[in-house]
Amino acid sequence: MDSSSAESGRRRRFDRLVSGFYPDMFRYAAWLSRNREIAEDVCQEALLRAWKSLDSLREDGAAKQWLLTIVRRENARYFERKRLDTVDVDDLSAAQAAMLAEPADDEVDDLRKAIYGLDDDYREPLVLQVLMGFSTQEIADHMGLKQGAVLTRLHRARLKLKESMELKA
Amino acid sequence: MNCEDYREAISADPSFEDADHVSQCTDCREFRAEIMALDRKIEQALEIAVPEVSIFELPVRDSSRVVAMPTRRRTSRPAWFAMAASVLVAAVIGIRMFAGGIEYESLADEILAHMDHEPYALRVANRPVSDRRLQSVVPANVATLDHSAGLITYAQTCVINGKKIPHLVIQGRRGPVTVLLMPEEMVSETIPLNGDHIDGYILPVGSGSVAIIGERDETLELIKNSVVDSVTWDI
Repeated sequence: MDSSSAESGRRRRFDRLVSGFYPDMFRYAAWLSRNREIAEDVCQEALLRAWKSLDSLREDGAAKQWLLTIVRRENARYFERKRLDTVDVDDLSAAQAAMLAEPADDEVDDLRKAIYGLDDDYREPLVLQVLMGFSTQEIADHMGLKQGAVLTRLHRARLKLKESMELKA
Repeated sequence: MNCEDYREAISADPSFEDADHVSQCTDCREFRAEIMALDRKIEQALEIAVPEVSIFELPVRDSSRVVAMPTRRRTSRPAWFAMAASVLVAAVIGIRMFAGGIEYESLADEILAHMDHEPYALRVANRPVSDRRLQSVVPANVATLDHSAGLITYAQTCVINGKKIPHLVIQGRRGPVTVLLMPEEMVSETIPLNGDHIDGYILPVGSGSVAIIGERDETLELIKNSVVDSVTWDI
């Protein structure tokens, strides 16, 4: 295989992975950063890194976890560079507020706000479990935690959301 | 397993199963149903709309920089000959890399080739790039562009003729229009750009130039006027 056909094969592989997993990458980045604009920037950087290190991904079956790991690192880098302040839910920029402006019924809308208000430590494993379908062991591996710590965080996250929704009711 | 343990387990992982406990405890059965319902709502709440993927320029691995190694074969030549040959090959690779890779006949050729490298840029889109991205790609000493110039759906720093330049895509009437702002690329007259199905030109603008390329029947005039008006380098 000559170098140009190898390169186009590499590009086709990349395009296939991106088209399959970009929604997951974006949603994960958005819930990590709580900001749609930052999520787009983080995903752009993550895609560039993924492209550069595509050859290190041996099996496409592991692509989702691999891409989300890159997103997680890029998100951390972004916040290291920017040193953004934490924000109050009542004082949001347009891009942050856009996260909460998705059409939904009242109950889902309230729940979205409650998730938005969760600490990062609770929100992230919840997103990985509910949205990405990760097992608690996979979450532990992904976040560099012990499985017991993940279980505790998930338990607390759901209890907080449950209490929050009961208060609204 | 007692009720407290069960509730902790089910709220940490709703797929947790303990049929024995649930069958015997009505309260925990209700708790489980509540958690399952909550999870369905959480899933809905987390499902936010995803924008269309827009990948900026991916670095192309320049195949011309790769010098094909000859097929290995048995040889009776001494080891020093092989070493000398290796050094020579390395020197050739090094010289070609330092020489800058692909040599283009002209600025126009490089611009047309550059467009082929970015298939994601040239797509019809209706979502503008963020102001922050636009400002980071287009420095104030190059241009003061905002979305009044048109719907800018792509903004990326690219390299043309060894210099970093802003590469923008503005949605025209017929499709995406590529705009390259080249403050350090002086041309003496308008240079036509003609590719497959695309037309455009490199326009002299003061000490630099602007390339504008669109579909063959695109009206480039309006975009040209607003882009040129926004330029802030020495005119």
